[in-house]
Amino acid sequence: MTTLKYILRDMWRLVVHHWVLGLLTLITAGVMLWILGVTTLFSLNLENLLSRLESELVVQAYLVKDNTLDIEKVAAKIQALEYVYAMKIYSPSDSLAKLQEKMGSQSRALDMLGENPIPYNFEIHVHKAEDVEHLVDELNAMPEIDDVVYAGLVVKRISALSRISSRIALVMFILSVVITALVVYNTIHISLYSRREEIGIMYLVGATRAYIATPFVLEGTLLSLLGALIAAAGIIGAYFPGVTLIQANLPFLRNSIITDRAVIFRFCALLAGFGATLGWVCSYIIVARFINSITKPE
Amino acid sequence: MNITFSEVTKTFEPDITALFDISLNIEQGEFVYVVGQTGSGKSTLLRLITREILPSAGVVAVGGYDLRRMRRADVPYYRRDVGLVAQDFKLIQSLTVYENIAFVMEAMSVPKKLVTERTKDVINQVGLWRRRSMRPAQLSGGEQQRVAIARALANSPSLFIADEPTGNLDFHTAAEVMKILFAINAAGVTVVMSTHNQAIVNASRQRVIELENGKLIRDEKGGTYSG
Repeated sequence: MTTLKYILRDMWRLVVHHWVLGLLTLITAGVMLWILGVTTLFSLNLENLLSRLESELVVQAYLVKDNTLDIEKVAAKIQALEYVYAMKIYSPSDSLAKLQEKMGSQSRALDMLGENPIPYNFEIHVHKAEDVEHLVDELNAMPEIDDVVYAGLVVKRISALSRISSRIALVMFILSVVITALVVYNTIHISLYSRREEIGIMYLVGATRAYIATPFVLEGTLLSLLGALIAAAGIIGAYFPGVTLIQANLPFLRNSIITDRAVIFRFCALLAGFGATLGWVCSYIIVARFINSITKPE
Repeated sequence: MNITFSEVTKTFEPDITALFDISLNIEQGEFVYVVGQTGSGKSTLLRLITREILPSAGVVAVGGYDLRRMRRADVPYYRRDVGLVAQDFKLIQSLTVYENIAFVMEAMSVPKKLVTERTKDVINQVGLWRRRSMRPAQLSGGEQQRVAIARALANSPSLFIADEPTGNLDFHTAAEVMKILFAINAAGVTVVMSTHNQAIVNASRQRVIELENGKLIRDEKGGTYSG
């Protein structure tokens, strides 16, 4: 307990005596973690938008006109296919009613057809855009299916966009983490280097390496945590006004943006935890290496 | 704590031999002057005792322990029993006089009450109580030297190493510092002090170990030094 008190006091001394370097670490960590948070939120929203678009993709499968077909059996067969997420059956009369509703005042043209030409059909939803092509292939291979209609080009584009955005998000995340880690690592290194003489003296008068290192590691962790909290506050402060602005100007994105406050607050708590962990890991590595080199006898 | 050097040689990179084939024995409770010109190897000899450096050949043993074989984790515990006064004081500039001295006990997890008592005691011993809240940069050379002595005394060491402790001091302050060192020695603590101050060595007639170009050229009890 006594040692812990001394270590915490020493950590506080480090923060106070070297407040300029501390402030530098705090600001750098804060800015980098804010960029990391914003990048991640942007990626999450993009993923959200794409997955919404994907969930709205529909494959329409029309059955052959055969009165002997058991619709329930065919439905079960389609439902059992790997890529099917959800499915709805439309009878010829339902389909016609739907079409009439869509055509509005021009629906009278349909009366000229006489007999309802639309067969039983299935509206099928998939998990991912890239599943559509596979599903269409499987449906076309079924003898009960007469025709399959889907937005082929849109599917291909969304699928490609989804793949690219996932990769970009991953690269951006890794880059942000690496840059944040490097900046925190280097700032702590500068901070340690400026105190190398003190560290050498401490070791010379009988302080153990752990006793010397712990306040430095705690300082790095504390500054990174504070930086992360500032970043989290900055994200919360900028995100919700930003969302309001986007919803007002780009209404088609209204349902694709993450607006749940609980989700954003949880994200920020995660960012703070990540910042503290990053600070701890960087400080630990650099302090261990530095003290090891400085205490090595010639 | 007795000190033994057996055929010790210390070479620094690239090829500078600071000490060559030194063998000597210092008994518990002795007061020893290590004398010689600048560059003769005095500081190297003391730094070998504090294990700041390791011998290139031979064995340095303190209290029966071969310092080369000492684990790195054990070095701080060894140093707590060695009071060190360096030529450049080696005080932590960001700490006050009081904090510099208290630090060595705090690093040993000594309870705060005992730290306060002992720190007050050693600061009074070197006559710096009124300067306790000052930082090293605000003190004169002599005062900084006394802070270093007080810090070395704080853990009641059994071995006291002083590298030119009077080097930067005027005659009056140097005499005061020597008084403190003799008092420490009188309490049974082994004192090894390097100096090239003839007046100090000749005034007290203690054991004198003289080095020249890294070689031991004289080891004399009750000796003098003529520079």
